[in-house]
Amino acid sequence: MLEVNESTPVAARRSQSRLISLCINGEWREVAVKPRLTLAEVIRDSIGLTGTKASCESGTCGACTILLDGRPVLACLTLAIECDGRQIQTVEGLAEGGKLSAVQEAFLDQGAVQCGFCTPGMLMSVTALLRENPKPGREQINKALEGNLCRCTGYNAIVDAVLQASGQGVKPVME
Amino acid sequence: MSELSYVGKSFRRKDGPDKVTGKAVYAQDVKLPNTLIGRILRSPHPHARIVRIDTTRARALPGVKAVITVEDTKGIKHGFVETPRYPPDQEVLARGKVVHVGEEIAAVAAVDQLTAQRALELIEIEYEPLPAVFDPEEAMQPGAPEIHRSHAKYAGPHSNVGGNTETAWGDVEKGFAESDYVREDRFECQLRTHGYLEPHATLAHWENDKLNVWTSSMGSFVKRAKLAKTLDLPYSSVRVHKTYVGGTFGGKIDLYSHEYCAARLSMITGRPVQVVASREEIFSAYRHAQPLILEIKTGVKKDGTLVAQRIRAINNAGAYRGSGVVVIFLAWGFTMIPYRIPNLKYEGLSVYTNHTVRAPQRGHGAPKVRFAIESQLDMIAEALGIDPITIRLRNARGAGEQLPNGDNTHRGGLQDCIRLAAERSGFLDKFGRDRKSPPGGTIRRGIGIGVSAYMGGTLIYPNGSGVIVKMNDDGSAVVLTGAIDIGQGSETVISQIVAEELSIRMDDIKIISSDTDTTPQDIGAWISGMTYVTGNAARQAATHAREKLLEVASEKMGVAADQLVLKDKVVSHRLDPERRLTYREVIAHSVATRRGDTIIGEGYWRTMRDEPNHPSLATTKGRWTENYAFSTQVAEVEVDIETGEARLVKALTVHDCGFPINPALVKGQVDGQISMALGHAFMEEVITKDGYTLNPNWLDYRMPTIHNMAVSEDADVITEQYRVGQPYRTKEVGEGLVSGILAAMGNAVYDATGVRLHGTPFTAERILDGLKRLQYQAKTARKAKSGTLGA
Repeated sequence: MLEVNESTPVAARRSQSRLISLCINGEWREVAVKPRLTLAEVIRDSIGLTGTKASCESGTCGACTILLDGRPVLACLTLAIECDGRQIQTVEGLAEGGKLSAVQEAFLDQGAVQCGFCTPGMLMSVTALLRENPKPGREQINKALEGNLCRCTGYNAIVDAVLQASGQGVKPVME
Repeated sequence: MSELSYVGKSFRRKDGPDKVTGKAVYAQDVKLPNTLIGRILRSPHPHARIVRIDTTRARALPGVKAVITVEDTKGIKHGFVETPRYPPDQEVLARGKVVHVGEEIAAVAAVDQLTAQRALELIEIEYEPLPAVFDPEEAMQPGAPEIHRSHAKYAGPHSNVGGNTETAWGDVEKGFAESDYVREDRFECQLRTHGYLEPHATLAHWENDKLNVWTSSMGSFVKRAKLAKTLDLPYSSVRVHKTYVGGTFGGKIDLYSHEYCAARLSMITGRPVQVVASREEIFSAYRHAQPLILEIKTGVKKDGTLVAQRIRAINNAGAYRGSGVVVIFLAWGFTMIPYRIPNLKYEGLSVYTNHTVRAPQRGHGAPKVRFAIESQLDMIAEALGIDPITIRLRNARGAGEQLPNGDNTHRGGLQDCIRLAAERSGFLDKFGRDRKSPPGGTIRRGIGIGVSAYMGGTLIYPNGSGVIVKMNDDGSAVVLTGAIDIGQGSETVISQIVAEELSIRMDDIKIISSDTDTTPQDIGAWISGMTYVTGNAARQAATHAREKLLEVASEKMGVAADQLVLKDKVVSHRLDPERRLTYREVIAHSVATRRGDTIIGEGYWRTMRDEPNHPSLATTKGRWTENYAFSTQVAEVEVDIETGEARLVKALTVHDCGFPINPALVKGQVDGQISMALGHAFMEEVITKDGYTLNPNWLDYRMPTIHNMAVSEDADVITEQYRVGQPYRTKEVGEGLVSGILAAMGNAVYDATGVRLHGTPFTAERILDGLKRLQYQAKTARKAKSGTLGA
């Protein structure tokens, strides 16, 4: 049992911080992180990029999906300290020069966004999929997005958005 | 003006670009310097007396800035319902007793998460556990543990009755006596959660005698009212700011204790306080939907004409009143709207149990009621040798029919919905096919139908919406609306209406929304009335601005206003388009001649102007709404008779949602509801034991993933028109469509297998049990037959 009259806050006495470098959306950033901090916490709280969403914080919903060295990972299950010197892409890094990517445009065209909370994670998973496989079939789309929960859309519009973005004959439904 | 340029078209979402770039700010994303972390101490017992609370050690922990218990509150109660019959019943923190696992007892604010958590562990509480009860029918028995006294006006014999609804129409006993066929059934539904991806999150900052709040909600104005009340502050001292909201589905309406605690802790510390609920907390301690038990007795004539129906609904309402007394009231509405039943009797009981408090959930009882009624209707049809379409068409209400509550169905298109659904799905060709001639293999296909009706924009605080349209010098506009965009697309729909009425482009419109200090009051996003109520307020406001534009232009041009037309930010003469003024010129003239009026339009709307504030929850007397949306849904399912696993393959939704302002957004609502309903039908259940949630995460509580996606088609029976400058009726499309499809899935499972399930979810175990029972019955029937022959 901890004594109550200590002079410093409990958390401050936990393990020491370490300085790490992360290349986030093409910009190198140095951050001091405690070993227990997740990549999601560091991206959201230390760097201040809140587009990456914290939803279940236990790896079950995919809302915090980011790309680590180009591969989709769950930032809530990744320790920041493991990412020293690595490349990270978040939803904020998808549009280039203010121009939305084809995947972002397709999500808007298909009504694949409602509340928008799963959207950043979905966009990252789809972006990774299409880089690997420019014309994925339904099975491959399902496989790539099986870890991303969406409660609003029923997934139909999201699949259509992937098909539109990959040029597989699906036309925009919104103008 | 007949051609519509903006409404009726599928414009992309106004909030879309923010949401695909990560710029959309949700409550958890708001950051203020020097913010403290708040955490809530929750009851580990389902029912216990609190003998002693000692916060000394927690307060002494370095880094802890404040600790509150009920003694630090004003003791002002709140409730989902606050009426004379049902006054507020819940304190913001437990006083003397806890009545469910997870009930809020104390809260701390500390410099970081770990310190806050440690402080919670240092709060000492002595409990005296009390007997608890979790099953509503057990809780009703005399001698059951008393959670709260039965309602003073409840005259029946049962314990723990928090409220009741009783009503009748015609003479139900006479109706049964006149019926050719009568049957009774009992249906039950599981406990389900909402599954919003964004957790509950609140940031509160008390600064300069003003409380600023950012919270994940479904209506800023209700949050303001309840925060102000429980904190004993004037409304003007509480500002609920706009944030985007990451899904709600009914689970973020009422005041939640953590919101109060964030506010109170900020008032004590003078620093911002943020509370974010963990997913485990949401599953274990927050509000889920309401499991209903429905007992239904129905009498019909030989041809399937409904004669009488008696329904008793028992709601497992959890440990406080919550919306428990609302769902038993609404269940009557979902019973009486779709079909013509001359004799009806309804009783609803809301029963306290030691479960977490309940909230509305998309459909607020409708899926459970329609599942029960539509399942029984199919059983009746089969017994009479009538097909499911015929029996529904025989009883479906037409347009303008009077309803028992004194209202009427207006231009309800239910009969058209049923006909179109039957035709589009090829229902009668498919129905019964696999039962008559089972195919090889283990997969059986079935088709089922369900009908539903839902009310839109019903009266509840704050009852109405206002919108302000501010024209800018250049003819563009800023629209102030209290509507909150929870994903349904309110900002887009309101922009389309203003664009249409003013003939300005969507890009010319900027929306300022859901901020209690800067926008007019709004009904909120939970009674399926945004497009109708706030939409009509937006239309009114834009019409007001348009009339001003016309008046000024008429004066300047010397042409009667009725000879002028508005098009693309230009006012011109109807017959001589060369005579024209740009909006910029008109507004400049208005500023010059009307003491600086840059042209501001105001608009207001309320569902019914001639009704008291709300109908009686106890007696159901009083009209509810002008809008009854009707729908018919068809489900096609596949069942593996070896494993019992069933899945929705295809859904068809035919709905009468009035005039669709944005058809693609309507489709989004349809698809989302199909997905939620298939979760209800086949997957989801919050499993509890002694009040503890056993599956408080998405690995163990299975919500539909992309693998469970079903084909979803929809068709619109459009019964209303939109005309510029005229009021219009849009009806409901965001909630009711979880209902008919649930019933349709149950009926389709029966069609595929012959297994009739009286409870949801339709798990593999239940379906297999049903199949085994059928096999056993067939075997015993064969034996009995051969035995008889042998004798």
